[in-house]
Amino acid sequence: MGLILREKAEYLGTFRWLEIFLMETLARWVPTTPEMEVKVLMGRHIWDAAQHADALGKRTFELRAPLHYTLSPLTPYFELMKELAAVEDTPGRIQVIYDVLLPALTARYQEYLDGSDSLLDEPSYRVIHGILGDYARMRQENDALRKELKDMLVFDASRAEEWRRKEAEIGEIVPRGSGATLAVGAHA
Amino acid sequence: MQGIQLCADPAREACFRVAQSDSEMQVFEDSMSEAARRERLHRHMNNEMGALEIAAQCLVDFPDAPWDLRMQLARQASDESRHVAGLYRRLRQLGGRKGEFPIGNFEWAVTNMCDTLAARLAIQNRTFEAGQMDLLGALRKIWRSMGDETTVEVLEHILADEINHVRFANRWIRTMVQEDRRLLLKVASAVRFLAETNTALSAASNGAPSDAAKKHTDLGINIEDRRHADFNEEEINEILRQAGMSTFVAAEGRG
Repeated sequence: MGLILREKAEYLGTFRWLEIFLMETLARWVPTTPEMEVKVLMGRHIWDAAQHADALGKRTFELRAPLHYTLSPLTPYFELMKELAAVEDTPGRIQVIYDVLLPALTARYQEYLDGSDSLLDEPSYRVIHGILGDYARMRQENDALRKELKDMLVFDASRAEEWRRKEAEIGEIVPRGSGATLAVGAHA
Repeated sequence: MQGIQLCADPAREACFRVAQSDSEMQVFEDSMSEAARRERLHRHMNNEMGALEIAAQCLVDFPDAPWDLRMQLARQASDESRHVAGLYRRLRQLGGRKGEFPIGNFEWAVTNMCDTLAARLAIQNRTFEAGQMDLLGALRKIWRSMGDETTVEVLEHILADEINHVRFANRWIRTMVQEDRRLLLKVASAVRFLAETNTALSAASNGAPSDAAKKHTDLGINIEDRRHADFNEEEINEILRQAGMSTFVAAEGRG
């Protein structure tokens, strides 16, 4: 991929948008999801997403973009996120976060790492490795919850598979070339 | 409810019976019987769930709030989640279960009627959570006197977290009001709305003060932790006066 400095800030700014989207989606679902244990899981992960957004936002500043530079993803991805955020049933919401978004974002972060330099861009690597470690823990916590609630919640695997397919079909998600000009007007 | 418009309840599982007034909550003659202890934990667990939902809803409703404040709200959501889980674990250890007793969502219903973040912080964090600091300060001693150190440990950790929630709210309310003096009116009208709602609900219970309010007055004010939470001396004295502890104000003043 071979990203230049400005593109790295754009990637991280887009990831920051996605982490805030994750935080706000979980926050929106907490009061509207009936199951107490699921509220607890989502409530704990709101803080994880917020910390990820914070770390990414500080890193964008170090890459000569504004502090907490945030870029909305390209339209197809943005629309998919809106579709996923509209899911109303509890099993569907769990699948959206833990079976679709976290694995998808893991792959997207890995793509960034593959296109960067672990020495010159080490601070970004550290931020992203921290996020990927958190994702692994969040998914383990979700697995434990699903075991605990196995008699209460019924999951439709084909639905998650369809969402994953849609996500994977979208290649580019980062607005390229927006760079410093767009960065000036962006806000946290 | 009683001529006052409140926010609709958040989602709850079918096992929970949601009370609309104090009179629908379960009370026990022996307030520390085994069942009464479980009821305390069950009620507290649901209150923490409400606090989680209120913090989460603030993140949704105020996307343009300063990022550092949003971080605090996200952290609070996580803390309240742990409180729910810790209380639920203890409830089950004592033989209880979800839905064993009625629950009430009064804090959610009142707080979410406020249309500014400053007012919600004033109601939820600075009033309800600060009140909980007072209750926890005293309840720890009661549970300890019963020899239940496990529950005391749960409450100790919750209290420590709540102090942080009240402190960040106190600080941010001051900052926001300094930046926009009109918010002071919003905060004042939110506090008045809370008082009117309490009065209306009291009237519905034949004029008696609500069960929670009475318990609160009986248990006293947690002055030390209110100081930790950034209440100034003038504010603490005012709270003591409102709780009918003017003598204590004078004693504090002398100390």
